[in-house]
Amino acid sequence: MLQLKLCNCVKINAQLHPHCRIKIRGLNIMAEELQLVSEAGKMFRKRKMEHKKKGGKGKKKFKGVPFNEKRAKIDNKMKKLFEKRARDYNSDTEDDAEPAPVSRAKPTSYDKQKPKSYGKEKPKSYGKEKRTSYRKEEDDFEEEWVDDEGEDGNEELEVSEDEDGEIQPGITKFIDGCKAFRLAFKKLLKKSASDDILGPVLSAHKKLVAEKLAEEDVERKDKGEAKKEKHLIREKGHAKPANFLNADEKSLIAVATKGVVKLFNAVNKAQHAQKGLNPSRAKDEKAIKKRRREVFFSELGKTPSQTAVSKAGASNSPKDEGPSWAPLRDNYMLTNPKLKDWDKNTDTVADDVRMSADSDSSDDE
Amino acid sequence: MGRFKNKNRKPFVKQIVKKPPTVDHVTGDKIPKSFVFSRGKLPGPLRQLQMDLRKLMLPYTALKLKETKRNNLRDFVKLASDMMVTHFLILSKTDSAAYLRVARMKNGPTLTFKIHEYSLAADIAQSQLRPRCPAEIFKTPPLIVLSGFGTGEQHLKVATLIFQNIFPAIDINTVKLSSCQRIVLLNYDKETKLIDFRHYSIRLQPVGVSRRIRKFVQNHQVPDLRSLQDVSDFVTKAGYGSESEADDEAATVNLSSDIGRVNRASTKSAVKLQEIGPRMTLQLVKIEQGLCTGDVIFSEYGNVTKKSENEEEDEQESDEEMDEQENEDEEEQEIEEELED
Repeated sequence: MLQLKLCNCVKINAQLHPHCRIKIRGLNIMAEELQLVSEAGKMFRKRKMEHKKKGGKGKKKFKGVPFNEKRAKIDNKMKKLFEKRARDYNSDTEDDAEPAPVSRAKPTSYDKQKPKSYGKEKPKSYGKEKRTSYRKEEDDFEEEWVDDEGEDGNEELEVSEDEDGEIQPGITKFIDGCKAFRLAFKKLLKKSASDDILGPVLSAHKKLVAEKLAEEDVERKDKGEAKKEKHLIREKGHAKPANFLNADEKSLIAVATKGVVKLFNAVNKAQHAQKGLNPSRAKDEKAIKKRRREVFFSELGKTPSQTAVSKAGASNSPKDEGPSWAPLRDNYMLTNPKLKDWDKNTDTVADDVRMSADSDSSDDE
Repeated sequence: MGRFKNKNRKPFVKQIVKKPPTVDHVTGDKIPKSFVFSRGKLPGPLRQLQMDLRKLMLPYTALKLKETKRNNLRDFVKLASDMMVTHFLILSKTDSAAYLRVARMKNGPTLTFKIHEYSLAADIAQSQLRPRCPAEIFKTPPLIVLSGFGTGEQHLKVATLIFQNIFPAIDINTVKLSSCQRIVLLNYDKETKLIDFRHYSIRLQPVGVSRRIRKFVQNHQVPDLRSLQDVSDFVTKAGYGSESEADDEAATVNLSSDIGRVNRASTKSAVKLQEIGPRMTLQLVKIEQGLCTGDVIFSEYGNVTKKSENEEEDEQESDEEMDEQENEDEEEQEIEEELED
């Protein structure tokens, strides 16, 4: 049905402008306008006829249909305007000396001439249009027409006949043209859209679009590469550790464990002496201090070879004779005069034997 | 107008903020504090590394230190002197590598390390089957173990001193063993001249106790006895993993006091270390006398030191270094120094 209608609408237009697709559409609308204008008069009569035929049934049938509802009433001014437009349009496009005037004088005549196939549906739709249109405002009726071009294909047939002025020869002409165009149009319809990404595009444009797409592709690729590079720079040096402990890690853990064990043992040894004495109590404090001093002096007396066991066990200390504690040595901090002042607080440690967890490793130089 | 007082208004009371101690209350030592921040814009993983380093430096560090693009080093110095901060850890990034500078406040020295490789705490937790990182272990400062630094080289001595003082010193007479929860290990490799930086958590386990009993004591849960014939089996039968515990004699200690429910002073305990991030491979590149300024005492690439190395390699690397520096607008001062060298 739709196809038929489409065919019809194009048929007419093809008669007028078989060479231009865009114009077809424009004309189509134009023709439609004309049609409606001319119909305004005849509608009334037609509805009456319908009533006689079918009565209430026909009415009901069309009530629910949403389209065509917005048909507007056409006043005289607009009618004239459209007529004028149509005339202008025809005079522009066709080379005819005399543009076919829209004859609205004889609506009855082409009513009869209408092909039978259209006749069945036509009247109903007209009547329906008529009924609904009166309710609507006038300002949106023009748009409506544009929308409904498909359905109104049949109506335009009449107009086109009208425009020709001479009706009888026009029909034969029309049929010829119709056949030719139908064939062409069928061919077009049969053609399925290619699977191209571009879709159905005019060939000239196709090239352009293809170029553009290719360019975009290249651009995207470049962008991706740049992004990757950036990511690499961001992640530089970032290494994900292995799930297992390799030998290096194990040895490192062993070193650290050794350090911890050493510290714990030292703590145990030191705190074993003061067991039972609470360092925060004044009474015990003296005793603790005394013991510590003893330990301190005994430590000082020892040579580094006696005490120093490198935590790492990696470095064998140079065997220079001297006190184990670094600040007491002769060359302490004198080797580099530049290190003079930043180092101040390290020699404030002198009051008691203080052992940071690492002090062993530094002492054994 | 202002006649009626708002009854709901509370009188202004100055909040008494308890200041964190700047001095150890037992030993009377000055507690070193640190700032960890970055110069220049860091990429995501390095920012994460910065966060990890802050966590590592806990508790005496600014965990939520906010820095903006406009902050320059002087701002940090000013802030640091107000807050008695003693050490700076500064992360920066060039196209070739990331750099870590460890500086002592006010007047140097500054050690510049090139970070050859790093893994975040998250990466390490991901690589482990059972990552262990309870929040309590960050409430006490870590121990630090430097190993292999005693080669007698001057720059290593300086590094040793800096790193020893970056965490509060431990007085073995008063220290509580329960406060030793973490350990930072710096291992210097003589051949490659790289320093391995690791961070472990310390865990103590009683030796000679089967896993079942240990878990039973720890968890307070009724054990599953249905597979056993007798109650005594629970004690006598060796559980899984009991053999592996006894393997390392060197890692056992006698404790001076009880730690937790399981580790008694009377029994022997095994020291177990588990890595918590971050992990870094550092190379000592440069030592400056001042705080990110001043004379260059030691430079790996420059001719400041008397070390004899492959000249070509050095030159190549120093060129590279210079290129890096040029890219970086933050460290203009350093470029000049490099050029002077």
